[in-house]
Amino acid sequence: MTEHNHKHHSMRPYLGRLAGIKELGTDIRLFQIELADEAGKEAFADYKPGQFGFVSAFGEGEAPFGITSIPAQSDLLEFAIHRHPHGKTTQGLHNLSVGDPIGVRGPLGNSFPMEDIKGKDIIVLGGGIGGAPLRPVIKTVMENRDDYGTMTILWAARNPGLLIFTDEYDEWRDAPRTELHLTVDNKPPDWDEGDEGLITALLEKVNPGPENAITITCGPPIMIHFVALTLKKLGFTLDQMLVTLEGRMHCGIGKCGRCNLGDIFVCTDGPVFYHSDVAELLESFL
Amino acid sequence: MKFITHNNLLAWLGKLKEERTLIAPQDVGKGHIHYRPVSDMDAITFDYTRPDMSAKEFLFPQTERLMRIEKRGDEVTLHDYFLEEKQVIFGLRPCDAHGFLAFDALFLEQDPPDAYYARRREMTTLVGLSCPEMWENCFCGSVGGGPDDPSHVDVLLTALGDGYAVQVTTPKGEALLASANVQEKPDLALPEIPQNDPIPILPTGEWPALFDNQYWARLGERCLSCKLCTYVCPACRCFDLRDEEVLSGAGLVIHDRMRVWDACTAPNYRTIAGGHNSRAVKGQRIRNRYYCKFYYYPEDFGPLGCVGCGRCIEACPVNIDIAEMLVAVSDMSQGQEVSA
Repeated sequence: MTEHNHKHHSMRPYLGRLAGIKELGTDIRLFQIELADEAGKEAFADYKPGQFGFVSAFGEGEAPFGITSIPAQSDLLEFAIHRHPHGKTTQGLHNLSVGDPIGVRGPLGNSFPMEDIKGKDIIVLGGGIGGAPLRPVIKTVMENRDDYGTMTILWAARNPGLLIFTDEYDEWRDAPRTELHLTVDNKPPDWDEGDEGLITALLEKVNPGPENAITITCGPPIMIHFVALTLKKLGFTLDQMLVTLEGRMHCGIGKCGRCNLGDIFVCTDGPVFYHSDVAELLESFL
Repeated sequence: MKFITHNNLLAWLGKLKEERTLIAPQDVGKGHIHYRPVSDMDAITFDYTRPDMSAKEFLFPQTERLMRIEKRGDEVTLHDYFLEEKQVIFGLRPCDAHGFLAFDALFLEQDPPDAYYARRREMTTLVGLSCPEMWENCFCGSVGGGPDDPSHVDVLLTALGDGYAVQVTTPKGEALLASANVQEKPDLALPEIPQNDPIPILPTGEWPALFDNQYWARLGERCLSCKLCTYVCPACRCFDLRDEEVLSGAGLVIHDRMRVWDACTAPNYRTIAGGHNSRAVKGQRIRNRYYCKFYYYPEDFGPLGCVGCGRCIEACPVNIDIAEMLVAVSDMSQGQEVSA
């Protein structure tokens, strides 16, 4: 046992420092990471919306999270992380303070085809922490507003405390040709920013037109499934629906076996898929 | 053909042991044979069938320290643990060597390579010993191997008279053999090793049509999710990662990031953050294991994920039998009803 090799390789995290923490909701924080060395900065110089990274709370573990920033807007790498009551890594991350060391591997996986969907109306559907990997889509559209049609954001959570990025909602609402609609499963009496009910009910109410439109969904599998059924009812076809899937991965590079769905791996073949491709998979994500 | 006497083989192994870790089959008690690092040359056994466990732990340890994480105040440094000492695995059965083909395809050839496995592979030389016969539950010949298959070792020995026929298949094997007292015997003929009856292997393209067959649910009803089949398997490679504290004090905290064997038959294997488990039913999990071996793995990486060693058949507490399964899927693909 010696320490003779410090070369970077696929399982070794880049070192960084926690430059900022923002409270996003109940047990949800935004982690802003400054990478320490050139190799890490270079690796993350041009990451794409929809890609993910493994974040290390050293001594506790590492886990995969969707990147929630875009490189055009921030030198800091951002992850929105929901603390899981039984999750050693997310607990460890939530125990960190600004200035603490943190590790990142990535960027990993494919990305939303932001070039291919230029000129289309974009409907973004985020459920709870599932909104995290969609924020780069929203930011990219807002940065290049003339390249895209209308943007309709449907943002849902179990309760208002789990709605993320609330301090950005005004900016989203004020952007040209952009709408934001909120809904929560259980509406407390003092909350009147949106509807009560599931995202599928909100979707039927907002009733976006399928013509020249694309939908982008992230949330729990059951939400992805019923959103697709509702979208079908509204006239959308499966090849107009982009989704990003999840797996409890341990490597992110197609080795550990965890995230396979039949013969594909969510980590290397995804996490972004057209629903038409997901529907063709041998094994269901449900 | 090269030939080495038993005494010269022992002398050679003794020399190898001086310069590297020598791993060989040993009786660890009550007749259980395991591949183990050798400290006493007399402990090496030459009279064995297939060891209880494969040799995968020497290239893919059951618990492997990947890197040391040192925290001093708010500074972290990482140190990789790469295998330092060369090792030679002697007496490796051809099926166990065949298992490394599956590992190589994923950990070396599929980009990006795994640095820890690559280092272990580079530092390891494989000296196989042909099986004198195929034992009960062996079906290596049906999955592209054989009891005397030299393809996946660096040197293969086959018992013959008072010694062994020696086949050298790689430059690494050639280099290792340089220190052995080997004779040339031009007339030497390798013995014919009788084969077990072949098991039908359904071509990959025919597996998808059987995915929704009720056979898997019925098989799953018997499964205990005990994971033994994956642990004894020379080709199963699922892993988990975790950080464990190893030492702390005086402003220094040390953790090791460990890689440990995992099993796709475990109940929560496919559970994701929100609690959703798309493989909550045992039949779905056992189906995933077999599909991985005979459909996903060959489709994605090339080799089958099974070497026909038969260990999982012997390990299973409820007699789930991979060979019976292979016969069943072949029958099902021809439209026959089968029971599980």
